Amino acid sequence: MLLDQMPDVQRDALKEVSNIGVGHAATALSKMIGRRIELFVPRVLVTPLADVPACLGGAETLMAGIFLRILGDARGSIMLLFPQASASRLCGILTGCEQELLENQVAVSSLKEVGNILASAYLNALGDLIGKKLLPSVPCFAYDMAGALVDTLLVEVGRKSDLALMVETEFGGEIDSDTSIRGHFFLIPDPETYEAFFSVATGD
Amino acid sequence: MRVGIAEYRTARGPAVLRASGLGSCLAIVLYDPRRALGGMAHTLLPGGRGQDEVSNPVKFADLAIELMLKDLVGMGAERQALVAKMAGGANMFASDFLSLVDGIGVRSAHSAREVLSRLQIPLLGEDIGGNRGRTVEFDLATGHLLVHFARDKTRLCL
Repeated sequence: MLLDQMPDVQRDALKEVSNIGVGHAATALSKMIGRRIELFVPRVLVTPLADVPACLGGAETLMAGIFLRILGDARGSIMLLFPQASASRLCGILTGCEQELLENQVAVSSLKEVGNILASAYLNALGDLIGKKLLPSVPCFAYDMAGALVDTLLVEVGRKSDLALMVETEFGGEIDSDTSIRGHFFLIPDPETYEAFFSVATGD
Repeated sequence: MRVGIAEYRTARGPAVLRASGLGSCLAIVLYDPRRALGGMAHTLLPGGRGQDEVSNPVKFADLAIELMLKDLVGMGAERQALVAKMAGGANMFASDFLSLVDGIGVRSAHSAREVLSRLQIPLLGEDIGGNRGRTVEFDLATGHLLVHFARDKTRLCL
């Protein structure tokens, strides 16, 4: 199937699937930090590789990234991106004091654990919907330019495709206040297993 | 001038070519100092030779260099005068568990070195690997390749 000719029904199905998955993930996060977490409308992005960093808010914006591979019956990657201030606040809530991201192993571990819990909740829900067993790898963490973080995602996609398919959901807690936490959740299926992720749309 | 992933651009001095937010990606520059004529490729993967479907060859380090070389010679660069530099190829998410993406940047650099050596283009400088993202700027007036590290706000000049 050609990605740039993806029918609307598949786009909508991907949005819906991702919304449900991120819904489960947001509930998990909400329980962990004791805040209400809201979801924004998901976006399905089909873009040339060169345009991916711009979709993430600019190649040079510093972000905290948690990266996991999806293992099991369908393959892909999950990336959670938090702007610097949100990542610090999240660490603050989890560890009791706001931390310098790089200096503190406890802060990094707590963010990895957030990634692990969110990805597990997401993949459980997604796996049930598409009838596949999906497992998250061990989470990896990096704090750097958004463009540099997403290179890691594009390596798998770029082997087989010139276009990247990403399902993005933005989420946040107390989004109108100075203490807001915002993050972006990305699902990036490997091109070899697109069909598995789309099966929910066709009912196969 | 911005050079995005899987793209290359050629230009004459005093233009500046820029690739921002390089992680495991590699920026390779070729330069004819006498004519202040050069190019930058921003590649994602190591060798593309032997792949069945090479849709956009510029995403591969080896094929991008060959295409850029051809373009530069077409623009009037002297084949024997050309020199190269490169930067990038970091391993952003260092981990024992992700062998799939582990070391892809270093492999890209290896592939680039091989093709440069085969084409007899001297590699004058490189800054490869590590776990920090880079933004690179290639000044076609001077031939300097400036490497910025956003995370700790340091830079170096190749």
